[in-house]
Amino acid sequence: MRWQLVQRAGTILFKYLFVLFLVVLFFFPVVWILLTSIKTTGDIYAWPPVYIPLHPTLQNYHVVLFGSKLGRYIANSVIVSSLSTVSVLFFASMAGYSIARIRFRGRQAILVFFLSMSMFPQLAIVPSLFVWFRQLGLINNFLGIVLAYTGLFSPIALWILATYFRTIPLEIEESAKLDGCGRLRILWSILMPLSIPGVIAAALIVFIQTWNEFFLALVILSKNLLRTATVGIALYPGEYAFPWELITTATFLAIVPIFILTAVFQKQIIGGLTAGSVK
Amino acid sequence: MNRRKLSDSTYGLLLIAPVFVIVAGILFLPTVYTIFLSLTNFSFLKGHTLRFVGLTNFVTIFSDTEFVGSLWNTVFFTLVTVALELLAGLVLALILNRSFAFMGLLRTTILFPWALPTALNAIIWRWLYNPDFGFFNSILLQLGLTTAKTNWLGEIPLSMYSMMAVAIWKTSSFMALILLTGLQTIPNDLYEAAEIDGAGWFSRLRKITMPLLVPSILLALLFRSMDAFRAFELPFALTEGGPAGSTQTLSLFGYRQFFQFLKFDTGSAVSVIQFILIMFLGALYLRVFRTEND
Repeated sequence: MRWQLVQRAGTILFKYLFVLFLVVLFFFPVVWILLTSIKTTGDIYAWPPVYIPLHPTLQNYHVVLFGSKLGRYIANSVIVSSLSTVSVLFFASMAGYSIARIRFRGRQAILVFFLSMSMFPQLAIVPSLFVWFRQLGLINNFLGIVLAYTGLFSPIALWILATYFRTIPLEIEESAKLDGCGRLRILWSILMPLSIPGVIAAALIVFIQTWNEFFLALVILSKNLLRTATVGIALYPGEYAFPWELITTATFLAIVPIFILTAVFQKQIIGGLTAGSVK
Repeated sequence: MNRRKLSDSTYGLLLIAPVFVIVAGILFLPTVYTIFLSLTNFSFLKGHTLRFVGLTNFVTIFSDTEFVGSLWNTVFFTLVTVALELLAGLVLALILNRSFAFMGLLRTTILFPWALPTALNAIIWRWLYNPDFGFFNSILLQLGLTTAKTNWLGEIPLSMYSMMAVAIWKTSSFMALILLTGLQTIPNDLYEAAEIDGAGWFSRLRKITMPLLVPSILLALLFRSMDAFRAFELPFALTEGGPAGSTQTLSLFGYRQFFQFLKFDTGSAVSVIQFILIMFLGALYLRVFRTEND
């Protein structure tokens, strides 16, 4: 009896330690840049190293947000990711509805087409897109990147949405149809509101992916003032001789929105990610 | 205009048409055009006449030692990181599959590396690895575990291993997530029956868990190896491909052909080679997947 108790206590202790281990393992890099970002420049480059800032300061945040281009990069990312998410959801919801609810010839072939498209490497599309977009005036143009992202991320979004649409009972639609609702009405005012978890999951996954995308953003938005956060910050070290106090600050700022979204909506995101992988 | 006259079939196609056109225009047609470019002497120079040159670009690129080096780097990087990620992901998934306190915190923790932008993660680790003021050297030197500064990203072959560590740190948890979904579809009564028959933890793992997990493992391997094979922003932001090209991947090499040297002809040849290898990889997995399912 006592032995069992000891064993159970041991298991619980192990579980807590394991959680602690994972939290430390996955969060220490970000904690380290957070600490760097609130240190004075002297403390950052001190030996012996200063781990916990003795004189925490928000000076670096002030410089990044108001005195450098880094703040501008983050604003660009907000614009690009928001527009892309709206665009992807608009097109993908119609396609997802079609895939989930309407039986038509070629449906299977189109699904296979989308699936294999998502394997295409960016390196293969970049030269042609660059040549074409240049002729169309879509280089250094937010419209160009939104268009590119709509193509890149619609397949995953429509996949997630279709999975959720299938879980809504058909009867609801049938009765709406009898009431004379058109298909698009059914999609926008019945199916979408009923699939809110799926819509949130798809929206978040697309938002995060576009926020993080690098290759196309680098090529399409090459002008300094139009750069997105990931590109602008990644190019910063080379251009300004490594002001680490500013780079870590900007990096932290660019991660915060992503972190908040995943922390709040972890259930929906995991649901969406696994909806994409199970079937 | 009467909507009702449209048949279901037409309506289905109509709803899917916009996405189809955009995806074809952004992914499919550009790839086809890149294949075309790789067979020409394309150049941005004015007054240049475009003509077919056959496989010349491919011959040129294969005789470039820098290209061969980055091809090898990519293969090596993919094999090692994906194998270790699978191992780490499997351990994580097996532990997470048991009920746990702090489930919300754990999920956030697991999701966090996935959600981090690869390029910014590379910047973070570049700072951690910094030889003079980085976290690792500070700790190691102060604890007396090393006596000299380690140049994590500046020495061959250490630079490649340091880069691999970043990739494994970032994606093991995504691997765990896919495997966890697979684990949760395994019916519990299989384990109960095995337990009644007196099967121990290890034989349950070997006889029930692993065989039933194979589809998830294959899927995870497919996703991850195709992703690792096109790694771009990790070397771009962490090491810039250096030192001496030791961390240069195919994508980074190709990018430089395009936008540093403006060689869209040989660059496209690099794209096509990567494309063929990735499609081959995909087809291979599909093949294994089919035979597994039969």
